[in-house]
Amino acid sequence: MKKLYYDVSKCLACKSCELACAVGKSVAKELFKAINEEVKPQSCVDVKTTGGKNFPIACRHCKEHPCVSACIAGALSYDESKGRVIYNKDKCVGCWMCVMVCPYGAIRDNKELKIPIRCDLCADTDEPRCIKACPMGAIMFLEEEEFDKMLAEKKVNKKPV
Amino acid sequence: MATKNIVIIGNSAAGVSAVEGIRTKDRESKITIISDEQFLAYCRCLISNYLAGTIAEKDLVFRDKNFYSENKVELLLEKKAERVDTKKKRVYLEDKTVIPYDALLIATGASPKMPKDLKGINKRGVFGFRTIKDTKEILTIASISHTSCVLGGGLVGLKAAYGLHKRKQDVKVIVKSNRILSQIADKQASELFFARFEENGIEIMLNTDVSEIIGNGDLKAVKLDNGKVIGCSLVIVGKGVSPNTKLVLESDIKVDKGILVDDYQRTNINDVYAAGDVAETFDVTTEKYENNALWPCAVEQGRLAGSNIVGENVQYAGSLGMNSIEFFGLPLISMGIFDGEGETMSYLDKGKGIYKKIVIRQGRLIGAVFVGSIAKSGLYLRLIKEKADISKIKDDLLDENLNYAKIAELVKEEEKIYI
Repeated sequence: MKKLYYDVSKCLACKSCELACAVGKSVAKELFKAINEEVKPQSCVDVKTTGGKNFPIACRHCKEHPCVSACIAGALSYDESKGRVIYNKDKCVGCWMCVMVCPYGAIRDNKELKIPIRCDLCADTDEPRCIKACPMGAIMFLEEEEFDKMLAEKKVNKKPV
Repeated sequence: MATKNIVIIGNSAAGVSAVEGIRTKDRESKITIISDEQFLAYCRCLISNYLAGTIAEKDLVFRDKNFYSENKVELLLEKKAERVDTKKKRVYLEDKTVIPYDALLIATGASPKMPKDLKGINKRGVFGFRTIKDTKEILTIASISHTSCVLGGGLVGLKAAYGLHKRKQDVKVIVKSNRILSQIADKQASELFFARFEENGIEIMLNTDVSEIIGNGDLKAVKLDNGKVIGCSLVIVGKGVSPNTKLVLESDIKVDKGILVDDYQRTNINDVYAAGDVAETFDVTTEKYENNALWPCAVEQGRLAGSNIVGENVQYAGSLGMNSIEFFGLPLISMGIFDGEGETMSYLDKGKGIYKKIVIRQGRLIGAVFVGSIAKSGLYLRLIKEKADISKIKDDLLDENLNYAKIAELVKEEEKIYI
């Protein structure tokens, strides 16, 4: 049940993750073909700067998943075994209930395609594309326990100045 | 754990979610669902899409047969629960069947309010708009009808109007009040939608009421209070809904507008729970008990009721009014209290069709309206629900760059993902 984690001390807001994501969501899956596509592919991750730090913001596949509860079309479901929110495009009617309830503002409305823009952890490949795209290694794809361990180590290593 | 005999009345959002709540903890207890409809659980909110022809009937189903077998649910369709005896712990059906329970969830939903005193309301061709059955009957008449009238300018009325318009009906919407969508939009937002409907050829008559429905048996016309008569063979009534509480009215279960429940979805009677459109829950914005008849609330409440029936002790954070809808490419999201009291900040760009408004009371967000630009509206919902102190970011609240990082310090962080 791997999820995406971010080291904001490394993130430069270069937006390489956004680019790789958008290309991954394009039809051609290649940058120079993607830019000419009629409907411009959009990135699911959105890097925002606040208080001098940069935060990549994308769907977290929350354990509480209000988007699934709110979906009036049965297009969103939660796969307990994978720990992922699953989206079924065939059922979606573009009602934007998921946009309304996402507590992280991580689901946007694709007005042209009438579908939510939402990170699916690159379900079509083994690993989310943003990870390799990040030149700083700020994006990590980890088990929850691995991340907790990392958090704990970071605390221990913090030496008093 | 001792197994129970759990009975759920209602097979929609709340009833189905209750099954999921129960089965996360308890695989053994017996679950029976009683429904007066003939269909598997379907997306009620999408019947207007079905009416419009953009979705097929089979695609309305959101929990198919497997759901009931996998979760070991006995589903009784086309059975109407007539009465509940909380002392004997029994549900009495219309066909005289008696169903005993150890725990009962009432998730009977709501029904369209029909203006009983309106002359001619019972004529053939006049419908509420709530079920697949309603929609099928409407579609039959729409195939031979040219003009349709919709009574009421609320969400259901306008969704019906939209669907009928797609079916090439000449649609007239008759609205008693001076604006449309008055329950889910403020004045400015409703003006934007009024214009959008008119541009697309749906006539909306404000400040107008129907005084009579004319016809012999079959509806032929509606007469308005200004004397005008509109010939039509189809009328849809969208005047709000009322909770289906009839089956408990003779019992000692407390009912206000809906069945009153506490933060655990319990009624005043032991082992009797209520959830969804039939229930009246604590509203975090109005701070009163309200009947928030909304799909997301029904799912949350149903799930919670299910969990609590099998001994979890999960508390509901409370409901609040929230709606998301799109008409003719113009989206609207509204939440909480967006009219009247409180300090208001708004932004309007008529050219782009964008309007945003937030309402603040004592340093806390209590409501918001978004038209045309709805991304990140979930952040506002979160600030409202958590009653976060927004004084620090007040000036950024209408900025389109508002994002989670900006509000992170003001809200509870559930799952850490940043280091």
